[in-house]
Amino acid sequence: MYMSEVRKPLLRTMVALSVIVGSAMAADMKIEKNVDGAVIYPTKDGHYQAYSVNTQSKKGFSSYGRTPTAAEIKAWNKDVMPDGTGLPEGKGSVERGDELFADQCAMCHGDFGMGGKGYPTLSGGQGTLKNQLVDAAKGDEPPVRTIGSYWPYASTLFWYIQSAMPFPHPKSLSNDDTYALVAYLLSVNEIEIDGQELDDDYVLDRAKFLKIKMPNRDGFYPNVDGGVGAKEVAKFLKNPENYGKGTRCMKGCKDGKVTPIKFELKDFKPAMSTTRDLPKEEGSKTVSKGQKLYEAKCSACHANAAIGAPVVGDKEAWAKVTAKGMDVVYKHALSGFNAMPPKGGNMDLSDATVKEIVDYMVGASK
Amino acid sequence: MSKTIEKSVTLASNSVSTDSRRGFLKGMFMSVAAAGVVAPVALKADDAAITEEAEWGVKLGFPVDKYGYGQRSPYEHNVVRRVTDLLSSGDMYASVAMCPIHELEGGIITPNGLFFNRSHGGTAIIDPNKYRLMIHGLIEKPIVLTLAQLKRYPSESRIHFIECPANGSAEWRGPQFNSIQFTKGMMSSAEWTGVKLSVLLEDLGVKPEAKWVLAEGSDNSEMGRTIPIEKIMDDAMLVWGQNGEALRPDQGYPVRLLVPGWEGNLNVKWLKRLEFGDKPWHAKEETSKYTMLQPSGKAIRFFWPMEVNSIITSPCPEKPWTDLKKGDVVEIEGLAWSGQGTIQHVDVSLDGGDNWTEASLKGLVLPKSWTRFSMIIKWDGKPLVLQSRATDDTGNTQPTINQEIAAVGVESVYHRNAICSWEVKANGEVNNVHVRG
Repeated sequence: MYMSEVRKPLLRTMVALSVIVGSAMAADMKIEKNVDGAVIYPTKDGHYQAYSVNTQSKKGFSSYGRTPTAAEIKAWNKDVMPDGTGLPEGKGSVERGDELFADQCAMCHGDFGMGGKGYPTLSGGQGTLKNQLVDAAKGDEPPVRTIGSYWPYASTLFWYIQSAMPFPHPKSLSNDDTYALVAYLLSVNEIEIDGQELDDDYVLDRAKFLKIKMPNRDGFYPNVDGGVGAKEVAKFLKNPENYGKGTRCMKGCKDGKVTPIKFELKDFKPAMSTTRDLPKEEGSKTVSKGQKLYEAKCSACHANAAIGAPVVGDKEAWAKVTAKGMDVVYKHALSGFNAMPPKGGNMDLSDATVKEIVDYMVGASK
Repeated sequence: MSKTIEKSVTLASNSVSTDSRRGFLKGMFMSVAAAGVVAPVALKADDAAITEEAEWGVKLGFPVDKYGYGQRSPYEHNVVRRVTDLLSSGDMYASVAMCPIHELEGGIITPNGLFFNRSHGGTAIIDPNKYRLMIHGLIEKPIVLTLAQLKRYPSESRIHFIECPANGSAEWRGPQFNSIQFTKGMMSSAEWTGVKLSVLLEDLGVKPEAKWVLAEGSDNSEMGRTIPIEKIMDDAMLVWGQNGEALRPDQGYPVRLLVPGWEGNLNVKWLKRLEFGDKPWHAKEETSKYTMLQPSGKAIRFFWPMEVNSIITSPCPEKPWTDLKKGDVVEIEGLAWSGQGTIQHVDVSLDGGDNWTEASLKGLVLPKSWTRFSMIIKWDGKPLVLQSRATDDTGNTQPTINQEIAAVGVESVYHRNAICSWEVKANGEVNNVHVRG
């Protein structure tokens, strides 16, 4: 009954292979057919040829679609280029940027953009780019890539902040507020504009912005500016010596010694398993509206201990939150408290809905 | 050490040249014949799985209309994408869910539910009725398309992998994860359906001064990247189909850009806009990230293609040989890929890279696509260090760890394609190790 599990597939493979080998030899002469009347396809250089294409003209399809209006292009064309193309008018002070940063950015990026919560560090790092952390035990330090130490253009800063920040509520900052944040981030990185330090009362506007010279502006290659297009990149990529060239050595090629894992990382979610069994019954869970909205609108901060907001499920933290009664909790949720903006920044939610979310968060943390 | 291994392992394809299938067959036959076929194991008792009626055979199964959209077997529930805090930037919105490439049941297609997911601001859910694509800038005839209009363009289907350039980035200083899912799971492969941009642009007319294209997504992060016109006109596509169904939301539903073989993040998801210009944009994800800092203190930018690469998927730390007995015949299998061409050769070493033998390619061998390789050996139960090394049709070969570090140092973060090593212990356990230094 337990016929050799090795032999059976081997025999089958041999039969199949002999058919292919036979057909390959006869490929140029005539089409070979199998027992079902179907063609046995030849192979060439060990491959089948794939992908046929329709070679008919494909002109004329732009009758589907229409020309965008000027207002539509303006609404979407918000990028800002290094030469200032796309940079809007506006102005903002370092002081205003400081306020905005404390309210909407510091909970993730740390005070003064110094990082420390898993999110990108925005300041410091000047003079570290040549660092190579090969061995921490020998005191090697890593390079620190921040706006001040690494970013080549300020245009990216304006564009990115306005289109993608603050993280839970992007596209909510006005031009003036964005100027203010850029001014603040330049000041904490001690970047000067036209020889001038950015003090608290410094006001950044479009004309001054165009004079910004980022410290690491010459820190990147290959060159793509001055109308060269992708030519220099092509030259660079063509030569694997630039990024690690291997050789097809076949004998006596040993290159190094076997090095095992020193500190194993295995904090996987879910835990690693290749077992085939039935999942554990999770019971019939109904998801409340409060929970759904919490997950969509509030969990970015309240599910993340690093941010400092009370994490849902943390009984101790929530006991403190509710110590002064639910009225206070509701009030804080609706009007803002510490780093949290009113309604957590979700101004589209009604007061009643915010209270429902709060009820879920409190209930889930008892 | 290498000599012992040479002696102790019979390479099934070693006795004859591997480029002949007949020779391969002969080699296989000889090695098995020489070894003698392993005797069937005598069981002490009958197997109840055979002698007793199975519970699923004595009752009705599910009706055919139970699931409008089919489900996999509940027994496969451990075959899932996984995450770790160490590879996220603060939370699970700007993070990556790794593909369990050890669990893919062969071939070069990743099931849509297992496709790795790297997003910069969560997964956007787009109403396809409100979807608009704008193509403008240095274009004779700027255009706005609805999804239905875009799908009227003549479509093509192509199988391509997508790989995040940070795949394997935790390993520059040494091995850290004893797992293939976490060392190489930032990639997946699908058959994509859409329209080639060269077809679309033939009608719209690109102005001669247009050299660069900004591709921008409409999600929270407004992900943007600059792509050179040469790639746009070669094989870039706007795709809406993924393995025969609409793109999954985490892959950019309803439309993403596909730039075959290039860094994952260039395949912009939830695509909203293509702007043609004469200068690169220097977007945040091509300055602050996705640039490779070198020991000189300068950084490489616009490193677009994913280099030639490979990994042995069986065995691997998650799929060891602990069930093997001394003398068992076993297939070493893996994936090779290159964003710059088609896989030409994959070599396998059993002794940590000292001696190499060419493996067989199997299945579809397509440009800028995953390619399966295979080598059958008889294992004598002694420790091995397995490596694979791919070469593509540009002639590029995967570097050793030492070769790669000599070129770019250890702080590049991205584009790590050095040869990987699995240590097979005598008990069949498999561990992630490096051969370096």
